[in-house]
This record gives sequence, structure tokens and C-alpha cells, in this order.
Amino acid sequence: MASLALDSCGSCAEHRTKSLVRLGLSPDRWDYLIALAGNPNTGKSTVFNALTGLRQHTGNWPGKTVVRAEGAFEHDGKRVKIVDLPGTYSLQAGSVDEEVARDFVLFGRPDVTVVVVDATRLERNLNLVLQILEITDRVVVFLNLMDEARRHGVAVDPVRLEKELGVPVIPGVARQDSGIDELISAALDVAAGTRTTSPFRAGRYAPDVERAVVGLAPVVESVYPEVPNSRWVALRLLNADEAVQEAVRSGELGQLASGSQEAVHAPPPEADRQRLLDAATRWRWDLPTDFHDVVTQHSYDAAEEVAGRAQMTGLKRAGFAFDRKLDKALTSRVFGFPLMLLILAIVFWITIEGANVPSGMLATLLIGTVHPWLNGVAAAASVPWWLSGFVLDGVYLATAWVIAVMLPPMAIFFPVFTLLEDFGYLPRVAFNLDALFKKAGAHGKQALTMCMGFGCNAAGVVATRVIDSPRERLIAIITNNFSLCNGRWPTQILIATIFIGALAPASLGGLVSAAAVVGIALLGITMMFLSSWLLSRTVLRGEATSFSLELPPYRPPRILQTLYTSIIDRTLIVLWRAVVFAAPAGAVIWLIANISFGGESLAQHLVGWLNPVGLLLGLNGVILLAYVVAIPANEIVIPTVLMLTVLTGGLAGGSGAGVMFEADSVGATSELLRAGGWTLLTGVNLMLFSLLHNPCSTTIYTIFQETRSAKWTTLATALPLAMGFTVCFLVAQVWRLVAA
Amino acid sequence: MDLRLPSIPLRQTVELVSIDLPADQAEPLLERGVLPGCRICPVRSSPSGHAIVSVDGSLLALRRETAACLCVRLLTSLQEVG
Repeated sequence: MASLALDSCGSCAEHRTKSLVRLGLSPDRWDYLIALAGNPNTGKSTVFNALTGLRQHTGNWPGKTVVRAEGAFEHDGKRVKIVDLPGTYSLQAGSVDEEVARDFVLFGRPDVTVVVVDATRLERNLNLVLQILEITDRVVVFLNLMDEARRHGVAVDPVRLEKELGVPVIPGVARQDSGIDELISAALDVAAGTRTTSPFRAGRYAPDVERAVVGLAPVVESVYPEVPNSRWVALRLLNADEAVQEAVRSGELGQLASGSQEAVHAPPPEADRQRLLDAATRWRWDLPTDFHDVVTQHSYDAAEEVAGRAQMTGLKRAGFAFDRKLDKALTSRVFGFPLMLLILAIVFWITIEGANVPSGMLATLLIGTVHPWLNGVAAAASVPWWLSGFVLDGVYLATAWVIAVMLPPMAIFFPVFTLLEDFGYLPRVAFNLDALFKKAGAHGKQALTMCMGFGCNAAGVVATRVIDSPRERLIAIITNNFSLCNGRWPTQILIATIFIGALAPASLGGLVSAAAVVGIALLGITMMFLSSWLLSRTVLRGEATSFSLELPPYRPPRILQTLYTSIIDRTLIVLWRAVVFAAPAGAVIWLIANISFGGESLAQHLVGWLNPVGLLLGLNGVILLAYVVAIPANEIVIPTVLMLTVLTGGLAGGSGAGVMFEADSVGATSELLRAGGWTLLTGVNLMLFSLLHNPCSTTIYTIFQETRSAKWTTLATALPLAMGFTVCFLVAQVWRLVAA
Repeated sequence: MDLRLPSIPLRQTVELVSIDLPADQAEPLLERGVLPGCRICPVRSSPSGHAIVSVDGSLLALRRETAACLCVRLLTSLQEVG
């Protein structure tokens, strides 16, 4: 068995900087195209980041990458485009994300496919490698997680594995950047054709299957002479693989087989293509009924055989006492749920307590200092009042408020949440909650998409691609809005602090506020279960499919990288989106506050019309109007509410009609809202309505993109809104009854 | 005798004999290393009674109904138990 020690010089980052230029995002032109494939959670995104210098978000759970990410690097003067594909266990494509990966390997015509393999689970990973080797000769295997394999008592011999597979095998640990240089060299050698491969191909099938394959393969060769492995194409056609049938029908199979971007072959005549499809149908009649099982077993037998020759298992294992103890607690029947709630509460408590001071400082700076200064400059420059009002009091103040309110909690919440994700906690949450999802007729993986929704509902909706069953995926999409997103956390935190935290002694205020926010988040989860249950018993009837989820080993979170990734990729991007929506919304607010007819501004008329409905719901006209203005982004609800309260209540505080109110502290905001007629009921119902209302426009658009259905998009939009009206109405009536 | 996984006590390793599920539902299990002939060991059960099993060095969460479709056999000799 070869030594597992890695060449420390060749794999160090310094060595690479001499020859590697990271180009970041996808280039317009490239010399080579690399596809990065592999089983879920094997570290593909980590390899991708190491190669491109990008910081694609990584997470310790299977199914994190649901769309393909693209990046680039330059090596020895060659520009290389690299595509990170979603993890897939096989090329049979069960779910949408797996289809993305399979289609790219099949039809994306990469110059080389790098398969990232988890060295701790070689046999299972080899199943995919062998399937890819059936399609293409241009493969390099990156044997990742060699350090974890050692801890698991598994020794893999990369040299032996390379001989068995007939393609380069590079051992490494992507998290530590080791093996990356060798991987680049091997991949580019294979892409350039300077390193030839002789891939392992599984032998003959059972006689009746073999007869059909041998019968059909010559037809494939006669129609598509450029196809390198006619047996594989024959087998997929016998299996009625729709993607391959379509490739035959359209002639795309010839392009795929040519393996090069330059060579464009004319498709064979249509009659020939049809002849091949007809032949496949004829041979299919002669296949045994357990054809699928025979082929599957054949593939697994081959993987077992190769793995058996290249690895040694059962060696001394490192102690896993910590992992075991932690899992025992986190997934325990008794402590699983309480610990989950405690962790959630701690995350919110850290966010609330930590965000207070920086939020106040930002408000003082941007609103208390910079805004008056800008106004002074405008006055000195004799800028017309309407222009300075529109730009400074509308656009600038809306933007400044969003930054002051959103940046601190997001800069704390996202990194803390990402650390939990990196550590491997999310699949445990999915496991704990699975029984409830099953009772609701939904898929266990919906817990993962729900967690993603806590960051951003649009991201949560896209993440549902990990769910195989279309029915369960629709349920997950429609109900994702019940996860409180980052745009709504600031509203929850502020209102909880003002109306609920204030009920407790000052020292316990933060804790009580955090508990109230956790309560609302839990209510959202309850509503999600309830509506999933309702959907699965009405318009989306059906049985829950079987569920199995891999629980990855706990991995120490990479704190610095997590901080960087979550602040740059999540916080700033989300903040930018909020600012993009807040700036025009600020302008709209300023306009409706300054366009008057009948002696009152448009905003006052609108608030007056909405007030009766608002009061019936335990809210008011200001809140309802704010939610109409905030359809593009939930983040601007609070600034809009404050401005409209000042305007319609005739209160002091703003510097004119339509000015986003300059409340630079929680105390000032509290006084203003109370002066505007707000009560504890208004606060509670605003928290409820913030949870239960239509998704933001980005999420609605994403739902349409994912479902391609106006019907489901309308349902996903109207359902939470109807629930919000109902819940607020009932709470208001009961509250008033009890109060009376 | 038809022995199913849920009747195996925690931390007892057994061998998987067959998967009593339609091909499309068995496929995800096969892909995750739950293959006839493999060693499988229930290590924990969830708050709701679902199983966490250890297969091929990794932990897999299975619904109780799915676990009930896994036909297993006890390892008899010391050598088998390893």
C-alpha cells in the first residue's frame, strides 16, 4: 500500500501562486472547459473555490449546490473555465439538481471531467466514477478527504486505484488546499490530450441483457460512428433514458461524442436516427423483467471489485467519541428538540444583543450627522427644495435607514448560521423534524429548504431542487415563505424590543425579546406544517415518499473563511438588493407625501382609506400602506411605517412631509409609535403580519421560474396573505374581547 | 425467517440481504451504499422513532417505514462479526 503522505511542497499555496492566476467569474472565452462532478458533500465546491479564488458558499450537508456555478483560472497561459455541478450519486437523474449535473457531463462537452471522490466512502463514490468512465475517456479523479479516511481507519492506495481505473487519480485534502496543484496539472494534461487514459469499463452483463446490448450497439455505431462507447448508449436506450433518446432524436449525440468544441458534425439523416430508436424499442421487448436491477447490480459489483483492490479498511480508527456524544445529544429523543430550540434562541439572542449598539451608531452617523450635513450643503448650493427633498429626504434616508437597520443583524446572523451549517448541524435538524414532515405529507428534506428560507426565501425556493418528488417539491416551494427571511428579522427584532421586551425588567429585555422572536419563528414553522398538511390533503394529494438522508461527519467550521464568505456573499449581496429596492421606494414615499389634492397628501388619503380595514385587523392604515409599498422588499417596511406615522399623525420628528423619520434609537422609535396610537396589540399583530403575508417580488418571481405555473405562484402568494388576515383578525377580536 | 431492520437492537451489526422496495425507491438507498451484502448497524433512533444507521462508515437517517423494508440476517460466526 502506498504511503498516504502528500507532497507538502507541491501542494502548498505559495507554489501555485507562481503559475496560477485566478480569474474569478466565468470568462467569455476559454481554452479548456472542466466539469467538476461528484457525490453530494464530497467537497466539490471547496475544490472549485481553491481553483478559481471564488468564494462559492460551501456547507456541510448533501444537496447544497443545486445549480451549476461557473468560474475560471489561468494556468501557464491557458484560460480554463470550470463548472461546479450539483452533487449526484448516479447519472440516472432522480431530481432536478441531479439532472443539471447529468446533462452537463453528457451534453456540456467538457474537455475533462474531474470527479471529486470521498476517500472515506470509496465504493459508493466509485459507482458514479464508473458511470462517467462509461461516457468519456477524459476523466481525472480527485481523491478528497484523505485525512478523514485515515480517521475512519480506511487507507486508499491512489497508485493502485489509478491503475484500476485507467485515469489519473490525485489524492488530497481540498479544505487544506493540498493536492490542488497536481489536480490542475493532471486535468490540463488530459484536456490537452498530452496524457492519454485507458478507462476501466465494466465487463459483460447477464446473457439476456448482453444479447440486447450486443444487438443494439452495432446500430448505434452505424448511425453515430463517432460515439466512443456504443455499449453505454445502447444500454441507456434499452433503459428508455429520455435524455439519451432525445440526444439521438436531435442528433446532439454526435456533437457530444466528438468531444471537442471545434469539430461540429452534421447530424445523421433523420431516418437513421429513427431506425436506432426503433431498434432500441424492439430489443427492449426481449429484456428480462428485472433488467433494471441486473444493470444496477452489475455497476455496484464493479465498484465493489475496484474499491476492494484499492483500499484497506478496518485499520485502527481514530476516536470518534466527540462525534458520537454530540450526535447522541443533538438527535436524542429527549434532548433533540429542546437543544434545537436553545440553539435557535442563542443565535437570535446573539443577533439582537450584538446588533443594538452598531445599529445605533450607524443611525447616528448616517441619519443624525451625514443627513443634516448633506441638507446644509444642498441649502448652501441653492438646490431647489423639491430636488433636495426627493434625493436627500426620500432616496438617501430610505437607503441610510435600511443600512442602519439591516447591516448589523445580518452581519451577525449570517456568519453564526453559516458556522452551524459548516459544522454539519442542518441535516440533524432535518432528521429531528422528519416525523412532523411525514405527518404533514411532505418530504424530510423540506427541513433543509426551510432553513435556507431563514436567510432568503428566494434561495429557499431554489434549494427545493434537492427534493425528487414534484408533489413534495411544490409543497416545499409554496410553504417556504413561512420561514422568516432576513428582510423580516429586523422588523421582528425592533417591534419585539419596543413592545414585548419593554414589558420585562431592563436586564431581561433582550432575553424576552429574543424569546418573542423565537416564538414567531416557531409559529412560522407550525404554519408551514399546517399548510403542508392542508395542501397534501387537498390540491397536492399523495403519499410521502421514502426518505433517506446522509448525516455528514461533524467538521470543525473554518471560522475566518466563514466570516468572509457570509459577510461578502450573503450579507453584502442581500444588503445591496435591499438598497436597490429601498432607494426608489424612498422616492415613491416622498412623492406620495408631497403630492396633494383636496388639502391632503396622497399618502394621507391612502392611509385614511386603509385605516378601517387595518383597525379591524388590529393593525392600522399606515402598516397596510407600508406593506403595499414594501412588496419589492420586506426590508423597507419599518422605515415606511415610521415616515407614514409621522406624516399622518402630525407628529414632530421628521424634517418635513415625506421624510423618512430620523429615529436614531429604539427609544425614539418607541415614543413615536406610541404617540401614533400604537398599542401592544398593534405590535403583536405587526409581528404576526410580518410573518404571514405575501412573499416579496423576488421570491414570487423565483417561484414562477421554478414552477412555470401561474396557478402555483398565485397560490404561494395568496395563501400566506389569507392566513395573515385571518390570524390578525382573530387575535384582534379575542384581544379586544378579553380587554373589554 | 424474514428479519427486518427495525427488529434489530441498537448497536448490533447485521448483513443486508435484500431491499423490499420498488426499484425507483430502492435506488437512492443503493446509491448511498445500502447494498445487499453490506454491514448495517442501527445506532440511534430519532425523537419520533426513525432510525439512524451506520453503513459503509457513514450515518444515514431512514424513515421507520423504509427501515422496515430492509431484510437482514444476523451475523453468526465470530469472524463475520469481526
